[in-house]
Amino acid sequence: MGLDYKLVLWNKHKKTYDKIIALGMLLYLVVFVALTLALNPETTAETMIIRAFGSLAILMLHIILVIGPLSRLNPQFLPILYNRRHLGVSMFLAALVHGAFSIIQFHTLGDVNPIYAIITSNMDYGSLTNFPFQVLGFLALLILFYMASTSHDFFLKNLSPKIWKGLHMMVYLAYGLILMHVFLGAFQQETSPFTIGIIIVGFITVTSLHLITAFKESKIDKFNSEKNSEGWLEVCEVDEIPNDRAKIFTVGNERVAIFKYEGKLSAIHNVCKHQGGPLGEGKIVDGCVTCPWHGYQYLPHNGQSPPPFTEKVATYELRLNGKKVYINPNGFEEGTEVQPVTC
Amino acid sequence: MEKKDEFYIGYMNHLGEGTKRTTKRFVLFAIGILLLGAISFGFFQKEAVNSTFDFNAPTKISGTYQEAPYPMLRVKLGEGTFKNVLLLGFGKFGANSYLDDIKQKEGNLNGKHLTIEGNLIYYNGKTLLEIDDSQKISLTNSKVKDYVLPEVMGKQKLTGEIVDPKCYFGVMKPGYGKIHRSCAALCISGGIPPVLVTSDNNTLSEYFLLTDLKGNPIHKDILPYIGQPSLLRGEVEKMGDWYTMRIDVSQIEKLDKKSSIY
Ligand code: HEM
Ligand code: FES
Repeated sequence: MGLDYKLVLWNKHKKTYDKIIALGMLLYLVVFVALTLALNPETTAETMIIRAFGSLAILMLHIILVIGPLSRLNPQFLPILYNRRHLGVSMFLAALVHGAFSIIQFHTLGDVNPIYAIITSNMDYGSLTNFPFQVLGFLALLILFYMASTSHDFFLKNLSPKIWKGLHMMVYLAYGLILMHVFLGAFQQETSPFTIGIIIVGFITVTSLHLITAFKESKIDKFNSEKNSEGWLEVCEVDEIPNDRAKIFTVGNERVAIFKYEGKLSAIHNVCKHQGGPLGEGKIVDGCVTCPWHGYQYLPHNGQSPPPFTEKVATYELRLNGKKVYINPNGFEEGTEVQPVTC
Repeated sequence: MEKKDEFYIGYMNHLGEGTKRTTKRFVLFAIGILLLGAISFGFFQKEAVNSTFDFNAPTKISGTYQEAPYPMLRVKLGEGTFKNVLLLGFGKFGANSYLDDIKQKEGNLNGKHLTIEGNLIYYNGKTLLEIDDSQKISLTNSKVKDYVLPEVMGKQKLTGEIVDPKCYFGVMKPGYGKIHRSCAALCISGGIPPVLVTSDNNTLSEYFLLTDLKGNPIHKDILPYIGQPSLLRGEVEKMGDWYTMRIDVSQIEKLDKKSSIY
């Protein structure tokens, strides 16, 4: 699908989301600084900046991490998923301010270079409570930097969606490093049940949402049915599929989406060519399967994006026996025309 | 009758009612989380002490220079009252390199009267001076006078935490403990004297400048012991209003407990 096409048309919402992100961050900083000045007037500006941006970044990271599973569980969260990238880049910027001020304050103006100082000025790598927690934050910041700088569509195009997605899974590694950074660092000295509690509740929320989503999806993968004599698989009854929507099944090792539209059934590979979005959670719009993630479209009967676009996904053959739907688990070449079955 | 089956496509401006509601709720919820976070992180900070660093207001002080174990200026406050001001360099460095120029010109400075312009750092009765330019040191009287010899106070066993005095007495908050440890290690390795801040009820002092068993400065050897509650043993001496302690670094005992200084 054409990227320019999208950029022009989703400006309106995008701008609103960006404003909300900026205002939310500003609100956080104002409240934090006001409270600090009122309750802790002897503190230094550097410490206040380091703490404000560090804590802001970790809270934003939690918000970012729940968006994925929420939108898998309920498609009404999709508009937020859509704008998650800007939230991610903003979070990186907050983390960068925190990290940069920490490095300037604690690691510069010494007898060795600051990066070397982060790694070597505390050598208790074998201890848990004395661990050099700054190293963990530094590694996390490198990952976040890498992700933020490759978040543009340019890289998506040039790295192939699969690799891009894989790289962006590193956010979980960064999240783990950051949790350790905070628990082995600030929380060892600035111990309060409230701040620790917030992060623990956040961690539990993020993990349980991911587990629930994984469980739900593993049910699809576990789907197992009898093959009939010719190798066709029985998948479901016609009535189980809502109009203009699909059901997803795993046949062989692939997920396939079976769509019902205009009294017909068609099956295509479930994975969108853009970023691997689940086409079976999409909808038929203007006669096209429309991806729920960013709206790429495919014709249900041949898996091809309507011209001028050129994306293609694999198609599958279906058969109807009374109310029962059967699928041939051997898919066709991407973009192969298949006669829809009428139901 | 689309209301049950809403579908959001990013490039269309239309949002279904339910999607709009969910989006709004999520935004409000996220802002709520941020507010709660700002209040908790803002509210539950340990209060910083009133240690001070006059980083933008230079001060000129004059007094008798005393080199060992760490450079100090003995400043006369009034008849019979003196204050020993510990000298430090800019950034995470000691004062020695700033004193080299004038030493080359004037020879041994010990016991001589110097005037130095720098930035004061002070807290809890102790004063330190940061020197950022060797040109701001001048010899004001070369006749040796007022030279005090250290007074022997005997063996002591003290618990506390080793800090770098520059940050602890004013430059950073907090200037102790785990959060500050890496910075303190850099400061001490750069020539700033290590100071023991005690957390026990010894009758002498809260602060001890640490030296090796011969009374010489220690820097690199003590780095692994900084910023952690520890037990130290050694011979204590009094030099003006500072105490020093001669220790064997390898005999420092790390105590497995929470930091309790300031
Ligand atoms: C170069 C990288 C980093 C360095 C040197 C660093 C250093 C520090 C230091 C020294 C503290 C203690 C500050 C204090 O309480 O006074 C701290 C705390 C913290 N850091 Fe980092 N950090 C880095 C990266 C990160 C990143 C990427 C995040 C995550 C988004 C993060 C999140 C936090 C949080 C939440 C705290 C506790 C709250 C606070 O005191 O600010 N840090 N970090
Ligand atoms: S994944 Fe982006 S449109 Fe399908």
